[in-house]
Amino acid sequence: MLEVGATLNRNTLVLSMLVLGGVLTTAGFIMAFFFTPPVLGPAITNEAGRIIGYQPLFSQKIFYFHVPVALSSFLVFFFTAYYGVRFLMTKDRRYDTRAKVATEVTLMFVILTMATGILWTRFEWGRWWVWEPRLTTYFIMTLLVIAYFVLRNSIEDEERRATYAAVFGIIAFIDAPISFAITRVIPSSVHPVVLRSGGGLTGSQLVALLIGLFGMLMIAYAIYHTRMREELVHDRIEAVKAALEG
Amino acid sequence: MRPSAWGWRDVAGEETGLSMRQFKAILRKDIVMELRTKEMVTSMGIYALLTMVIYQVALSQSGTAFDPRNIAAGLLWLAFVFTSMLGLNRSLVHEKDQGCLEALLLSPVDRPVIFFAKAGGNLIFLLIVQALTIPVFAFLFLQEGSYAGEWWMIPLALFAGAVGISGVGTLLATMSVNTKGKDFVLAVLFVPLMYPLLLAAVSATSAAILGGDGSTQQFWTGMGMIAAFDVIMLLASFALYEFIVGA
Repeated sequence: MLEVGATLNRNTLVLSMLVLGGVLTTAGFIMAFFFTPPVLGPAITNEAGRIIGYQPLFSQKIFYFHVPVALSSFLVFFFTAYYGVRFLMTKDRRYDTRAKVATEVTLMFVILTMATGILWTRFEWGRWWVWEPRLTTYFIMTLLVIAYFVLRNSIEDEERRATYAAVFGIIAFIDAPISFAITRVIPSSVHPVVLRSGGGLTGSQLVALLIGLFGMLMIAYAIYHTRMREELVHDRIEAVKAALEG
Repeated sequence: MRPSAWGWRDVAGEETGLSMRQFKAILRKDIVMELRTKEMVTSMGIYALLTMVIYQVALSQSGTAFDPRNIAAGLLWLAFVFTSMLGLNRSLVHEKDQGCLEALLLSPVDRPVIFFAKAGGNLIFLLIVQALTIPVFAFLFLQEGSYAGEWWMIPLALFAGAVGISGVGTLLATMSVNTKGKDFVLAVLFVPLMYPLLLAAVSATSAAILGGDGSTQQFWTGMGMIAAFDVIMLLASFALYEFIVGA
């Protein structure tokens, strides 16, 4: 359990994770500009509309920030479901607090994913919003995380709130990959499946992506623990207050 | 322990495991209450009819060249979603207000049986409303145009979608009925979770209505997705139900 004034090791770990994560993410992003090959997108067309030339897609560089954020949000959402399961197994209130903090971090990352996704769509396709599978899936995930907080805020009784939130967190986490799969499989006139030239990732692209990903995960870890510590301090204050009054 | 029809019989000859008798009893309670008051089916049916009126207003400026068959599947499922949210909420509100849920929990009924019975009741009501809505919709909007695709495709898609809606909806409604903002919380929880099912259901139903090239494949792809969603989410709802019904 994270104590406020104790274990210098834990605090150092969190702080170093935050700094390291920030450094790595920035490094990944800079690498995206200087070390990765440009991705080509169709640009120059003749009168018949056929593509006769390519231009480098500058907007594709958002990929190196967008994908780490998106993957991190999904991973942190896994912890929401995991702590939900642990809460249902043990009925320990601390797991509920952990699930709530994990969902808050998820919300932050999901909003960042949506923002970068919207920017990417704008600069690559010229429109601010396209109902393509990836954006749609993340929109649904945003709604799920918002729904989690709406549910939490609408219940007063603590144990019931924790139980319901745990159950919803689990079922929302199960729903997210299903949504991901179904939006890709179902053919739809308003769901263009976006194809880019060059399917796989080359070596340097992968390195930049992974560095960004690890940096983002470390940032997520640091934010989670900082917020968790705030919750624990809050709990201790409440306990002290109750002890003083009683 | 020796096997019985639906579970096991222990040494005393009592049935353990999920009991068909309990399931039938709870389901029959819901159906008898509905037959007496006819409240849910009438209110859901009228709500669906009112939705059709709104559709007419929404489509009133679309011009004569517009073929409503293109969006017929979407409109139908839209009506079903809102109607089922209404029905789910009501079915659980009765349980809570009359104290019936507490009585059920006090009696030696297995929790999963409550889930199946409530979900089964909601499924039956939703199917009835679907059966009533489709002729009305066809009468109002689909006077011209023929239907390609097999006739049995549409009911199949509707049934599969209704199963998913009832199952997960029962879980969510049991939660939302105990919150402060009942209908609102149900809607907020329901729509994002149901999104994949609705996408697949509209795709399958649309292929069934419109027909054309590749429609059979689109129909069966959609049905496969609906089936996958139903199996996974019903299993999850079944497993999680006993945690929330006792809380």
